[in-house]
Amino acid sequence: MSVPVGHYQYDQIDRDFLEARIAEFSEQVARRIDGSLSEDEFKPLRLMNGLYLQLHAYMLRIAIPYGTIDSKQMRMFAHIARHYDRDYGHFTTRQNIQFNWIKLEETPDILRDLATVDMHAIQTSGNCIRNVTSDEFAGAAADELVDPRVHAEILRQWSTLHPEFTFLPRKFKIAISGSPHDRVAARFHDIGILARPGDDGRTVFRIFVGGGLGRTPIIGQEIFDSVPEERLLATLEAIVRVYNAHGRRDNIYKARIKILVQALGIDAYREAVEAELAQMDLEHYRLTPEMVDAIQARFAVPELSAPENAAQELANRQRENPEFDLWVRSNTHPHREAGHIIAVVSLKPAGGIPGDATSAQMDRLADLADEYSFGELRITHLQNIVLGHVRQDRLYDLWSSLKEVDLASANIGLIGDIVACPGLDYCALANARSIPIAQKLGARFGDASLQAEIGALRINISGCINACGHHHAGHIGLLGVDKRGEEFFQITLGGRAENGASIGTILGPALPEDDTVDAIARLVDRYLGIRKDGETFLDTLDRLGDAPFKEAAYETV
Amino acid sequence: MKRPVRVGAGEKLVLTANRLLDGTIVWRDRLGRWRPVIGAAEKLDAERVGDVLELAQIRAQEDGVVGVYEVAVRDVDPPEPVTVRERIRAHGPTVHPEFAVETVQ
Ligand code: HEM
Ligand code: SF4
Repeated sequence: MSVPVGHYQYDQIDRDFLEARIAEFSEQVARRIDGSLSEDEFKPLRLMNGLYLQLHAYMLRIAIPYGTIDSKQMRMFAHIARHYDRDYGHFTTRQNIQFNWIKLEETPDILRDLATVDMHAIQTSGNCIRNVTSDEFAGAAADELVDPRVHAEILRQWSTLHPEFTFLPRKFKIAISGSPHDRVAARFHDIGILARPGDDGRTVFRIFVGGGLGRTPIIGQEIFDSVPEERLLATLEAIVRVYNAHGRRDNIYKARIKILVQALGIDAYREAVEAELAQMDLEHYRLTPEMVDAIQARFAVPELSAPENAAQELANRQRENPEFDLWVRSNTHPHREAGHIIAVVSLKPAGGIPGDATSAQMDRLADLADEYSFGELRITHLQNIVLGHVRQDRLYDLWSSLKEVDLASANIGLIGDIVACPGLDYCALANARSIPIAQKLGARFGDASLQAEIGALRINISGCINACGHHHAGHIGLLGVDKRGEEFFQITLGGRAENGASIGTILGPALPEDDTVDAIARLVDRYLGIRKDGETFLDTLDRLGDAPFKEAAYETV
Repeated sequence: MKRPVRVGAGEKLVLTANRLLDGTIVWRDRLGRWRPVIGAAEKLDAERVGDVLELAQIRAQEDGVVGVYEVAVRDVDPPEPVTVRERIRAHGPTVHPEFAVETVQ
């Protein structure tokens, strides 16, 4: 088997481990079914294998390490959707995929099928170090300094089965980026890592701790500015150890590392980590250049070559076809290599369900990945799909094919690119439904030219305070709240996940669903009326504050 | 998931759970059988629910269900849950009309 582009090639150790794990879980499922395990005993075991019990059925969350898969793996998702689910899957903001209609008795078979393409559902739930997320443009973006996926893979290997970190006080999320433009929301993670090249040719890491969303949104603080590569694992180990030892276990709402960092203060936390490092056997944790290079060698590098006139070809096509031009403007990103471009496939058709894809779409995406991007696909933290290495002169053909399967919405980064959690239609914890309001907003602003006119504007929707839809980080955030059994939405403005990370502020009283949609439409209208030339929604908000928007939103007719 | 249930005027209680093997939402009928339609559910008074619930929980494994709890419904036929959450459980996800669940047989 040839080495896949974009992700690590499993070795026998990885495969043996998966096989053993599936055998163990199959046993546990059998014991649950025959009654020798109670639900209370079984729940933590199934969660360790990504299996939830949701409103209507079991839900299986499959890990996509650093968001990268190959076409075979995508076809496996299509197979699972067709054979074990209701013909679709849901891509999440943590770059994973969820299937909503899973049967407990079939789960071992699903895991066996997944293992044939080196995939599993471990580290997608429970109080462990969760699947590590990364930049969806890794290894392709023109603005990238270091491809973070090699180190993301090292973190996967370090964290999977780490005996010390299997029962942390609470879930633990790590994101890593190698670009100065933060596309991973590094400061909203328990640990956020920004990689850059060091003077000696090896990688250096800036590390943030204690960020998070949920009911207590907190922006992560810098704990170390320049951790050398060889100290990366020791440093992370020490950070997690301090948390494991001192994080609260008495109160689930205060158990995340962010609460501990707040309680101690970042300086005291750093001192505790340094004290831990001082007594660790650093040699044991040393990440040597040889180790890094060996992992690197298990990633294939795409052989990029494009004709001289590729850029010209693309420009010509854009001139000829305004619809294509609009899509190129919103749905592509500059590639590091001349003649290439990064294409983002929107999973947000107007009026559709954000992040959902049918098995037919998954199969088609796998084919297109083979045809246009070395068989590699990435899932974005905004619930879209990236083809990372497309030749510019072939982009038009790709777009034409995407149109055939309803995957050519031109809305990336625009108001139609809505992020929404599953909400009350699926989730047992929800207060309100997130999807219907997303669909109404998506339909309201569906027109591609209108979206282009409105410009950069993110809407994020969560069905409850757990904030799986990142509403705190949305330029416009919507939070579902329960008012005497009815669904209401609280609007926040001004959140952002990127470099100047900030948490949105509440605009006013929560509104029912339809009123919320109308309020947002008025608010966007007001923005279009008062913006200065070249201003984005956030620029106008920064300049004028939220008063004009509040007035528009709560204006009664 | 257990939540304290308040029963208002014109309301009754029904018992619900998920089927262990496939997660299907089920409702307890008068004969103690778990049925996939809310229309089959036995409507209980608040005074009686405690005993029936306890029994159903004890029998859950034998009956092949998990997470038994009570749901407040309007006393109509078929019973209509009071909260949005339980209405979605009874009728299916609102975003997929093709997966709508029958409420009567
Ligand atoms: C459907 C079942 C789900 C359940 C039961 C669930 C549960 C939770 C809970 C309890 C939290 C709060 C954790 C805390 O603050 O300590 C949380 C946070 C979060 N979840 Fe989910 N979630 C679900 C689905 C999703 C989905 C579909 C996504 C991605 C679209 C997601 C991504 C996240 C993220 C990004 C956070 C906030 C980041 C943070 O951990 O601070 N979750 N989830
Ligand atoms: S935010 Fe709340 S409603 Fe949405 S998926 Fe997370 S837990 Fe469920």
